[in-house]
Amino acid sequence: MIGIIAGREVRSALVTPLPWILLGGGQVVLSWIFLKVVDDFAGLEADERVASLTLELTLNLFGFAAVILMLAAPLMAMRMLSGELRDGSFELVAAAPVRIGQLVIGKYLALVGLMTPLCLLPILNLAWIAGIADLDPGQVAAATLGLWLAGLMFCSVGLYASSLSTQPGASVLVAFSILLVFSIIGRAESLASPGLSLFGWLSWNEHLFWFLAGAVRASDIAYFLSFAGVFLALSHRRLSNRYLQ
Amino acid sequence: MEILARAIDLSRRFGRYPALSGLDFELRQGEVLGLLGPNGAGKTTCLRLLSGGLHPSRGKIEILGIDLSRRPVAAKRHLGYLPERPPLYPELRVDEYLRHCARLHRVPRRGVKEAVAEAKRRCGLDGVGRQLIAKLSKGFRQRLGIAQAILHRPRLLILDEPTEGLDPVQTREVRALIRELSKDSGIILSSHVLPEVQAVCDRVLVLHHGRLLRSEHLSAAPRAGLCRVRVAGAVDPGQMARLPCVEAAIALGEGRYRMILTEGATSGDLARQIVGAGLELHELGPERPDLERVFFDLIGAGDPA
Repeated sequence: MIGIIAGREVRSALVTPLPWILLGGGQVVLSWIFLKVVDDFAGLEADERVASLTLELTLNLFGFAAVILMLAAPLMAMRMLSGELRDGSFELVAAAPVRIGQLVIGKYLALVGLMTPLCLLPILNLAWIAGIADLDPGQVAAATLGLWLAGLMFCSVGLYASSLSTQPGASVLVAFSILLVFSIIGRAESLASPGLSLFGWLSWNEHLFWFLAGAVRASDIAYFLSFAGVFLALSHRRLSNRYLQ
Repeated sequence: MEILARAIDLSRRFGRYPALSGLDFELRQGEVLGLLGPNGAGKTTCLRLLSGGLHPSRGKIEILGIDLSRRPVAAKRHLGYLPERPPLYPELRVDEYLRHCARLHRVPRRGVKEAVAEAKRRCGLDGVGRQLIAKLSKGFRQRLGIAQAILHRPRLLILDEPTEGLDPVQTREVRALIRELSKDSGIILSSHVLPEVQAVCDRVLVLHHGRLLRSEHLSAAPRAGLCRVRVAGAVDPGQMARLPCVEAAIALGEGRYRMILTEGATSGDLARQIVGAGLELHELGPERPDLERVFFDLIGAGDPA
């Protein structure tokens, strides 16, 4: 049943322009950043370079890809629940012999499937210089994994926000606001006592940074997976409550 | 006959507003049950509760003896539901959509093609299988909504205003389809259109302000000894009542009369006697139960005429 729901979501999404626009637009922006990083790096003398080309690329290219993903995931998620609740097509699955858990997981897997090509855009750009530059494949793989894990979290937040409102625009804004809060919350650490690291831990970009630096840490993987799990559970809760409202 | 659906003390509140209060009914195999009522009477709420799309605030629903709240997946296997707005995906083609619905309703993979073809044939969708749903007319969307509800051959079919948006020919076809489907399943439908309810339903529940006002059995057969006639010109009602086979004649205006016949008299006797009395007979038909009169009496509205 999960596969049936996910398959339909992917098919429906692929015949709409949104994923193609996000993919095309994302590639244009990332290729511009890629060229700029390579050009700046090539213009520096060896002793002026403070970081390796791999680190420059992962921090800039993958870092910006995460921002694109932060926008793309809520946009792709908005039609999955919010749009269906608005158009009345949600009644189809509501009356079908489908568990809410299957519905949530099916839609989430479709969203992850649609988001994954966006996560692969940076590595596609790096392929241009793979033969001529000395890149660290381990660090690039770690950055790609980090970006994908961040994408998992963004998708679950997008899906949760999509379950909150019958207005797709409002659900995008809610998801974007949640992700923005979890992006800047780490800055509160400097305002509070220096010993308090909770806000820093909550911030997703702090965890992504370690992946971009080439370090795959279990705590960072646990952070992204647990956040994705929490928002999926909230989506499940929200849809269950809809039957009571 | 087997009980397909049973509602016990079914109630639903939206905040402080009671949309449905203490509804009890049963639906048996082969029966078509109509929900009738003005806007806001609770018809759609009742159908959404029966489809499992809403939880009742009080009471319970059983589908083939399965509690819908406790075992929703098992109960929903026997359900087909057409909501007020057909639940369609405009970006899909008709065939793609129906195949998805069949899989969603757990039709075995090898039976999907046959189920889709059968549903399309029954709903007159044979020629539009490759069309995008977004490009279908309102009537075809409604038919597609009905097709998704029936393609897994559910035992209980719930139809919320099934002929909404259809032209008169399609309306007649859908009514015939409902009668045909009722041979294998039980059907609950809501409608504003009184003649439609009268034409297809065996029994009607009249709802008003969320309460059940009356449960009425509708007999398709005319009541024996009751006829309705129309004759040309102004005729004295007394002259009609004096016909030998007539016990009483009630003038309805414009040459129309409701005639109560004496015991054993037939409509043939009446026709012969009207013509024999030198009157010009324009119409003669059986008198059916007047649902419209019952409905307006129950909801307290004035005389519809």
